[in-house]
Amino acid sequence: MVTLTIDDKQVTVSKDATIYDAAKAAGIRIPIICHDKKLQPFGGCRMCLVEIEQMKGRQIPACTTPVTEGMIVRTSTDEIIKARKMVLELLLLKHPIDCPVCDAAGDCDLQNLTYEYQVNTNRFQDEKFNWKIDYENPLIERDMNRCVHCGKCARICDEIVSFGAYSFINRGIQARIGTEFDGPLNCEFCGSCVSVCPVGALISRPFKFKARWWSLNKVKSVCSYCGTGCQLTLGVKNNEVMTTIYDENQGFHNGQLCTRGRWGYQFVNSEKRLTTPMIRKNGKLEPASWDEALGLVAKRLGDAKGSPDSLAALVSPRLTNEELFVMKKLFKETLGCDNIDHAGGYSHKALTAGAIESLGYAGSPSVIADIKKTNLLLVIKTDAYETHPVLGFEINLAVKQHGVDIRLLSDKKGKLSKLPNAQTYVHKAGADLLLVNAIAKVILDENLHDAAAAQAIGGFSAWQQSLANCAIDQVAAQCGVDADTIKGLARDYAAAEKALIILPTGMGYPGHGKEMAQAVINLALLTGRVGKEGCGVLILGEKNNSQGAADLAIYPTSGGKEAQAILSGCAAGSIKTLFIAGENPVVSYPNRSQVEKALAAVEFLVVSELFLTETSAKAHVVLPACSFAEKEGTFTSVGGAVQRINPAIKAIGQSRSDFDILSGLFQVITGQPAYANSAAAFLDLAATVPGYAGLTQAGLGDNGAIRTVSGTATFVPVSAAAPSTEAGKFALVTGSALNHCGTLSLYGEGPMLVCPAGYIELSREDAKAVGVKDGETVKVTSATGEVKLAAKVGSRVPKGLVFAPYHFADSSINTITSGNAITWVSLAK
Amino acid sequence: MSNAPAEATKAEETPAEEIDLEPANHIIDKYLTLPGNLMPVLQGIQDEYGYVPRPTIDLVAERLNVYPSQIFGVLTFYAQFHLKPRGRFIIRVCVGTACHVQGAPRIVETFFDKLGIGHAETSPDLRYTFEKVACLGACGMAPLAMVNDSTYGSMTVQKVDQIIADYNQRPMKSK
Repeated sequence: MVTLTIDDKQVTVSKDATIYDAAKAAGIRIPIICHDKKLQPFGGCRMCLVEIEQMKGRQIPACTTPVTEGMIVRTSTDEIIKARKMVLELLLLKHPIDCPVCDAAGDCDLQNLTYEYQVNTNRFQDEKFNWKIDYENPLIERDMNRCVHCGKCARICDEIVSFGAYSFINRGIQARIGTEFDGPLNCEFCGSCVSVCPVGALISRPFKFKARWWSLNKVKSVCSYCGTGCQLTLGVKNNEVMTTIYDENQGFHNGQLCTRGRWGYQFVNSEKRLTTPMIRKNGKLEPASWDEALGLVAKRLGDAKGSPDSLAALVSPRLTNEELFVMKKLFKETLGCDNIDHAGGYSHKALTAGAIESLGYAGSPSVIADIKKTNLLLVIKTDAYETHPVLGFEINLAVKQHGVDIRLLSDKKGKLSKLPNAQTYVHKAGADLLLVNAIAKVILDENLHDAAAAQAIGGFSAWQQSLANCAIDQVAAQCGVDADTIKGLARDYAAAEKALIILPTGMGYPGHGKEMAQAVINLALLTGRVGKEGCGVLILGEKNNSQGAADLAIYPTSGGKEAQAILSGCAAGSIKTLFIAGENPVVSYPNRSQVEKALAAVEFLVVSELFLTETSAKAHVVLPACSFAEKEGTFTSVGGAVQRINPAIKAIGQSRSDFDILSGLFQVITGQPAYANSAAAFLDLAATVPGYAGLTQAGLGDNGAIRTVSGTATFVPVSAAAPSTEAGKFALVTGSALNHCGTLSLYGEGPMLVCPAGYIELSREDAKAVGVKDGETVKVTSATGEVKLAAKVGSRVPKGLVFAPYHFADSSINTITSGNAITWVSLAK
Repeated sequence: MSNAPAEATKAEETPAEEIDLEPANHIIDKYLTLPGNLMPVLQGIQDEYGYVPRPTIDLVAERLNVYPSQIFGVLTFYAQFHLKPRGRFIIRVCVGTACHVQGAPRIVETFFDKLGIGHAETSPDLRYTFEKVACLGACGMAPLAMVNDSTYGSMTVQKVDQIIADYNQRPMKSK
């Protein structure tokens, strides 16, 4: 620790702090433009100049200068004020000062500092620039005339996003921020650059001219897309979510968001929102009153009480914990129906079947903070970046700032493969399970683990026995990764002081289920990595509340039917009433035609939804539900962080939250209210759901809390078969597109502007063989069906493998998939 | 206040350049393990091709794992790099003080007339690139011109004709 004096205040900080950090710790504000706490110090703008007595009053930047013992710092002498004023004069010299039409006005560092330092005249004179404004992309407007050359956009894109869209180009007075070849921006469109831009040089196009910053009501909430659990601030005006506002103090991610989180909010106020309940009359959905609709549904559910087998529910893990809790109370406890499931019945299995058996709880033993604390990250599929982009930023930071060694076991290369010293082990599609087992086998054979500790864990000998026949050379031949490489990876994994495995899951990843989770947990248990900081396994639940749905056991627990069986039951006629809350199985569940048949066959289909989706359009009763921005409650994200969402706007039209819908049904059926409000439901939830004990909605505050986990770990044998092959066919693997999450993002403006339709990604070699060029249509045929998709030709996927995202309703990929990890397809022009 | 901002026009559509990447790959191979290899690689490519063709930028980005934007930043920062093809013969005429008083402007104009290209321009047949430069460091020989590495002192209008006649005869291939 180092003690120094800043403006006559003594402050003690760690020796690697800068003067800026020390001043901040002492509550002294030093003005900054180019500095950002998330980024490496830059020292470009010279606003943070301070005087150091030991340096004979020389002015030095506080943001780049490390503290030294006994340093005496003055932050606001007359000379300093004069120097800062001149910095502002120089910045304003070329700046257009077009604040009246600038969206950054009110939230602009240059404007605020100019006001604070009262720079109302300028001693210098010069012509303004007349750079052309980049309107070429739909989301980010780049006006380099307003740029103050802080370099934050280029630095965040490099250091955190790791995309590198920007760089300073040209030299001297002509220097400015540019893109490669000075062309239009063509990037991931996460908008991190917009969020850190201190002026209006980079602004959000969807928000342009929508509202002044100061007229927005700012409401803190949690993103409702993926399971990362990013906190965000909604900018609200006239009952409309106008934008998302960057707050660098929010969440583990310091306010960082991805395309979906930042630019996918438009679904909330979409014109496509359902505003009134609807009942099918004479084959057509007609508007109805809530009393009529709820009465009809309640009667149907109440009637089924005697025969709960004829009843089933599919619930979206996008609902809040409180809603899921009431759902469970209504179906499982009141109606005695265990036919309840979510997420296709398979994409939650890593947690609800794998982890629960291996660890004793349906969660990850690790938390997101472990990513930066580990030494070695083993990521199963590079897709972790696409499924959870902001978690991907954490991985980037871990590798680039903390020197974490990243290894990727994947069937294709991905963005994470480009990180410094990243090693990607590209294996044959479907061979990941075999490889994970082989790594464990090498560790066992070479005695790289603490044998006594591993043997003390239940099931060790049976599991060890199950690996007896695992021959590394054979695995190597089957996987397409050579034996020495597998051994090397196993040795490195075992030798790392701390090692963390990341396992993404989701509707697009049928292979990442129970067995996959158990195989990686076995590996972590073997090397004593469970329950230690910076170690273990992080299973990434796909949706915003996937972890909550797993914690609350929204799946059959006493012999009820799973999602696929529910749909078969509907088709066979044994299930007569199906309640769907927020799921869109027609587009997201495997085998579309079978899902459609099942929904067409079921006698009574109730769907509570925000939109008239492909699923709700088939319903007998449609209940308009509220989005996350209109309700209160909690989501549980990856790693078990329980966080609160807050109502930002009043319900759209007559829509009601699923909490109110389900409580209403409960009241009609039982004659008693379910809960007074969601806080009361949460109290009951906390009392009954393990790990939530002691939590209250109010107590969560803005930062949320991590729910605890406890259980007894055990080794579980996992049998892994050699990957299948089919001569002359391509292995189709599905997954998440970077800009999308589930099917909800189809109603978000940003994601659809960047990635409007499905595609099929194939290697250059295969494209040549099939005779298609980038962007041309390819006919993809499987045993299940046929679909036409645009070809995306690149170097990411290896020969013989094709990748398609699953989100899109048109030419949906589930037309040709049937729930297997790999679908064998043929391609034709 | 600035003028009303002009709408950015679409980046100029340049047809994909068909170039042989083999020499560029050789240059990258040579420096692959050297820390800070971007500069020598780009200089090597500039020497080899006479400029830095766009496909080589993509290649360097891919093989050295550097962002294309950063490479573009480096290329536009240093005057030594060129993004467009340059002439086989680079004619530099000094317009520094000593050369100026010795009549360099006449020499420059004569080159303009005879070659039909202006400052920093390249003839369509890629034979010549003409540049006015501030000082070539040989004021005693003023007015001075250089063609590639050859120096021509005490330049006259007649000598311009001779130089052009000479270089018109020379082969386009250097290596």
